[in-house]
Amino acid sequence: MKRKVIHPGPSEREKSGPRYWRGLDELAETPGFKAAMAREFPEGASSMNEVDRRQFLKIMAASFALGGIGLSGCRRPEENILPFGKSVEGAVPGLPVYFATAMPLRRWATPLLAETHQGRPTKLEGNPGYAPHGGSSTLRAQASILDLYDPDRATAHTHAGKALDSAAALELIAGIGKAHAGYRGAGLAFLADQSSSPTRERLVRELLAKFPRAIWAEYEPVADEPDTRNLRPIYRFAKAKRIVSIDADFLQAEAGSQYYAREFAKGRRVVKRDDPMSRLYAAESNLTITGTMADHRLRLASGHMVAFAAALASKVTGDPGFDKAAAGLDVDPAWIAECAADLVAHKGESLVLAGSHLPLAAQAIAFEINSFLGNIGTTLEFLITRRVPAVTIQQLATVIGKKAVQTLVILGGNPAYNAPADLDWPSVQKSVPEVVRLGYYEDETSELAGTHLGAAHYLESWGDARTFDGTVVPVQPMILPLFGGLTQNEVLAAAAGLPSTDPYTLVFDTITALTGSPPGVAEAVFRKFLHDGFLDGTAFRSMRVRPGMTLPKTLLDAVPALPAVSKDAIEVRFVADARMDDGRFNNNGWLQECPDPITKISWDNAILVSPRLARELGIDSPASEIQVARKDLADFDKGKENAHVVELTVNGRKLKGPAHIQPGLANYTVIVPLGYGRTKVGRVGEGTGFSGYAAREAGAMHIANGATIRVTDERAYLADTQWHWSMEGRDIVREANLSEFQEDPEKMRETSLEAEVPRPLLDPGISQMTPGERSTLIPRGNSLYETPQFHGKQQWGMSIDLNTCIGCNACVIACQAENNIPIVGKDQVLRGRIMHWIRLDRYYSDGKADAAAFGGEGNREIPDDPQISMQPVACMQCELAPCELVCPVNATVHDDEGLNVMAYNRCIGTRYCANNCPYKVRRFNFFDWNMRHLDSLYMGPLGPHGMPELVQMVKNPEVTVRMRGVMEKCTYCVQRIERGKIEWKVKVAQEGHPEDVIVPDGAIRTACQQACPAEAIVFGDIADPATEVSRAKRREQDYSLLGYLNTRPRTTYLARLRNPNPRMPDYQALPLSRVENLDKNHPHKA
Amino acid sequence: MAKLFPRSVNRLPLQITLYVIVVASIATAGATYYMTPKYTRVGYAPIQPVPFSHAKHAGELGLDCRYCHSTIETAGAAVPTAQTCMNCHNQIKTTSPALEAVRESYRTGMPIHWVHVHVMPSFVYFDHSIHVNRGISCVECHGKVNEMDVVTQVKPMSMGFCLDCHRSPEEHVRERADVYNLDSPTIAEARGIGAGRAFVQDWNIKPPVSCSGCHR
Repeated sequence: MKRKVIHPGPSEREKSGPRYWRGLDELAETPGFKAAMAREFPEGASSMNEVDRRQFLKIMAASFALGGIGLSGCRRPEENILPFGKSVEGAVPGLPVYFATAMPLRRWATPLLAETHQGRPTKLEGNPGYAPHGGSSTLRAQASILDLYDPDRATAHTHAGKALDSAAALELIAGIGKAHAGYRGAGLAFLADQSSSPTRERLVRELLAKFPRAIWAEYEPVADEPDTRNLRPIYRFAKAKRIVSIDADFLQAEAGSQYYAREFAKGRRVVKRDDPMSRLYAAESNLTITGTMADHRLRLASGHMVAFAAALASKVTGDPGFDKAAAGLDVDPAWIAECAADLVAHKGESLVLAGSHLPLAAQAIAFEINSFLGNIGTTLEFLITRRVPAVTIQQLATVIGKKAVQTLVILGGNPAYNAPADLDWPSVQKSVPEVVRLGYYEDETSELAGTHLGAAHYLESWGDARTFDGTVVPVQPMILPLFGGLTQNEVLAAAAGLPSTDPYTLVFDTITALTGSPPGVAEAVFRKFLHDGFLDGTAFRSMRVRPGMTLPKTLLDAVPALPAVSKDAIEVRFVADARMDDGRFNNNGWLQECPDPITKISWDNAILVSPRLARELGIDSPASEIQVARKDLADFDKGKENAHVVELTVNGRKLKGPAHIQPGLANYTVIVPLGYGRTKVGRVGEGTGFSGYAAREAGAMHIANGATIRVTDERAYLADTQWHWSMEGRDIVREANLSEFQEDPEKMRETSLEAEVPRPLLDPGISQMTPGERSTLIPRGNSLYETPQFHGKQQWGMSIDLNTCIGCNACVIACQAENNIPIVGKDQVLRGRIMHWIRLDRYYSDGKADAAAFGGEGNREIPDDPQISMQPVACMQCELAPCELVCPVNATVHDDEGLNVMAYNRCIGTRYCANNCPYKVRRFNFFDWNMRHLDSLYMGPLGPHGMPELVQMVKNPEVTVRMRGVMEKCTYCVQRIERGKIEWKVKVAQEGHPEDVIVPDGAIRTACQQACPAEAIVFGDIADPATEVSRAKRREQDYSLLGYLNTRPRTTYLARLRNPNPRMPDYQALPLSRVENLDKNHPHKA
Repeated sequence: MAKLFPRSVNRLPLQITLYVIVVASIATAGATYYMTPKYTRVGYAPIQPVPFSHAKHAGELGLDCRYCHSTIETAGAAVPTAQTCMNCHNQIKTTSPALEAVRESYRTGMPIHWVHVHVMPSFVYFDHSIHVNRGISCVECHGKVNEMDVVTQVKPMSMGFCLDCHRSPEEHVRERADVYNLDSPTIAEARGIGAGRAFVQDWNIKPPVSCSGCHR
């Protein structure tokens, strides 16, 4: 349509005055411009078909660009698809590929399956083929993948300040070998960490055969196995009905803890009312997660453990020969007597074990007791392991002191940081003319070495290892070494001058020799080994123990007199930190931010002191009141623990660190967790904690006596994620004694608020109902709100067994790895902004809470000897979710399979949902944690922006990386649910029965469930009564957390059972949390 | 006292209101039309590094989709590797200059930079295998690729587009045998909507319409 518009002609002023024009075209009065002016719309704008519209947009874009505004940025960027040039077998873009591998740690390994996306590993799972672990993994295994992508790891080999490539580095090592060959290796020394690798063992033996005068030393700062030479005790907890742990943290600190956690859970799980349950007696100085599981817990200094063992042995065996070693022990004799009687009543199905850090005498006594009880061969076996003859670091230092070492090759480890303080390793190392260090980081030890070689991560190396029972497992690379790192095997092979240093060949040769495969089948055997992830039948043989065999009595005679402990002669116990281990994981952000299972402190270690010692030191009040229920007493700076810094003097060596008051410790034992206070570490670990190694001497590696403590004027903040320890008499964790439960399971429900209202729960059909159905029976279930109906064919739900949960945190980190959960740094944790989707709540109860909330006094003091309850809490996926009601933008809604889903794109960040969540499981992105540096969060847009490419690689491509201003929470691993459904539906469609859309039970496993070593988490379809989760929810212990709110959570808990011995002096007829609960809810009865 | 404002100012509030309403309506209409996902991308036909014609290969020669997009039934519709192209093109048109990029990629292993046409936002998790295995043909989203010389986006690929189908799958399903036959009619077109409903019923097809189906 054209319309002639008659414009008035130019006025006189316009003709004479300055002329204005809208463009060069107009000025030139081009014909095109004149034509365009005559059109009402630009060409194409009024024609509405698609191509012309595009044309129009192009013109507009071009004109804007010419105008200098540049709207081209508003277009979607052009993306490319880059297919392979040559097809790769088995590579399907978008589908993860799984490979078997293993994570070696000291003398045992965790068999794993690594999930790789387009050639980059993103997640590790336990290898389900390896039966003793049942597909579970550990906290450290879950976190170890982050180390692979650590931007601070060693990225180059350097020699005398110059960079080398891998080939040159190996040549350098080969040169060292040649130089020493003439003297049969004299002057050459190796210092390595422990390893279970058969290939390394073979190479070391070959090396020592070639260089008989060379020194092979091994050093590990942490002892997780007793020093019993080639014998390794292995405990069968599933068969043990009565267990006595003498300072042995077998669920976490001891070697094989992963296997033990699973076996222990088997003995604790009570599925039916009359199922047997094991009973655990624990004597310990520290409060460990093993202690939290104990039915009877005895606080005792570690230095008194041998005496305790001897006293127990004396009672069990009746042999007065033990009495001398037990002299002076200050423990209630009735405790030991009843414990011994219980053991004797369970001959052949009991177990006594002693911690690896204790003197050998403790092991010997434990052996005697087990031997007397006939446990050897049933609950206790001894495996014959293999070890390369190695000297200690002290012996090596002595030789170095004699100037007899010209070349020192340090493989792994970090002796400059963690060697005994009295050795002064840094100066010892500096006195060696040539030091070559193979290390994953350029750390304290590399700093003092002339040559540093970057080590490969286990996910980028060929290798092998042995599990705790000796089964050989492969270490397979998932990716080429990112920075050309070398393995210990390559270095050893080069030093020994072997013809091939190819790591694959080295492992292949070892396995071929081990299996004795003839050349024709060797390749097939090896491929099966790699595929399965373990070599069947290679477990260590167990030793035949002849009846009546005893250990030398001289061990007992050598037991020193009991060290006295008091405020002025404090016992110091050095323990490996639950997350940092000996310090090797110090630069791992996931582990740094993971709260300690007991103290709940993240990003730091602290000197743990008992409440009694704190009172005597005068640091309990008011600073410690942070842990007290009464808020008015709390000297608590906006939710931050403001700890006193104390100075600990051990044998004249001083340590300074914040003191954290930890209930449950032996009165005069302080705990020093190792692994912090690194001086040369990456950006994550820098400035975290203090180093306990500074006061650790060779003679007192684990237990030191006679220490003193001085309180300084300084204070330090500790990023404590749970400072309130009391359940305040609520039924948050429900507990019952086994006897009570067996008598009447309904009694357990008396604790709940639901029990306060009459309900028709006497209906015998009640136990057959799902929690959802059951909750409709309780009055609040008949609420005014409409009960939602979900029409999905499958309804997801979860059950968490508090009876077997050991609180190890593996689920927390598994969830973090699976769901791209960022870390926030100490400063933000102090502000309560930790992002973990699962938190592990830890409660103390001493039976004295009297409802502070209702005017009582509450717990005034930190309990000395509390009972501990652990509870993992993630989003409960409430059917009547309070969060959904308050979201103004419908960003959190329900799907038809019962999931409470978050649509990140809709979320505008009001945080109403988190406010309205009774479980406090929603997490808010206060900052763009992924794109901003944690130390420049407050610089806003002025700070650096972006994620290092290396860090991007660890992200799970199946999960959105959330940005600032978005709420997030547990999704029940919705990506795994969808993947499981898709895989199943594709399978049935291709097999010709597409109507069969119900995903079978067990095909979908959440990340936390998969990682749990105790199999405490069960996930599945609650619409089908036959699934494992439905069966778990029908168990009598099942309860909903805060169920009286009528939120109808899809995650329910199985109440915790304790199995105390009624004859014990510390017997409690009811768990202390129950006592508190009854006191609060039935004050008239009290 | 002299009047400070002339009389015409009395109409100013009304004029401002009208002006704001008009401008706001135009802005809203414009934004709705041009900025909503439904119209942002349809017609997008970028120039590809290799002038590959689907009309030639899939239409004229009748190659099955799955010959090249071989992973479609297990995961995504991956763009074929250069090696797949060379299966035929080491015999046919071995010297064609148009195929130089393919030969180069095959020789060196370096990928060809194909331009992504049907781009899903990164917060959408789409899986091809579940669709093609459950009776949804390529043509439903990609149009008649077998008639395209240059691959062009013909469907909006917006959330509304996805949900339309997820809410009424009976209009879109095909027999399994017809999924890769881009010229075939849907069951509803061939035998009526009742047959489509029966198919959906028989196969237990229940496409997700809640957030969790596509967003994680």
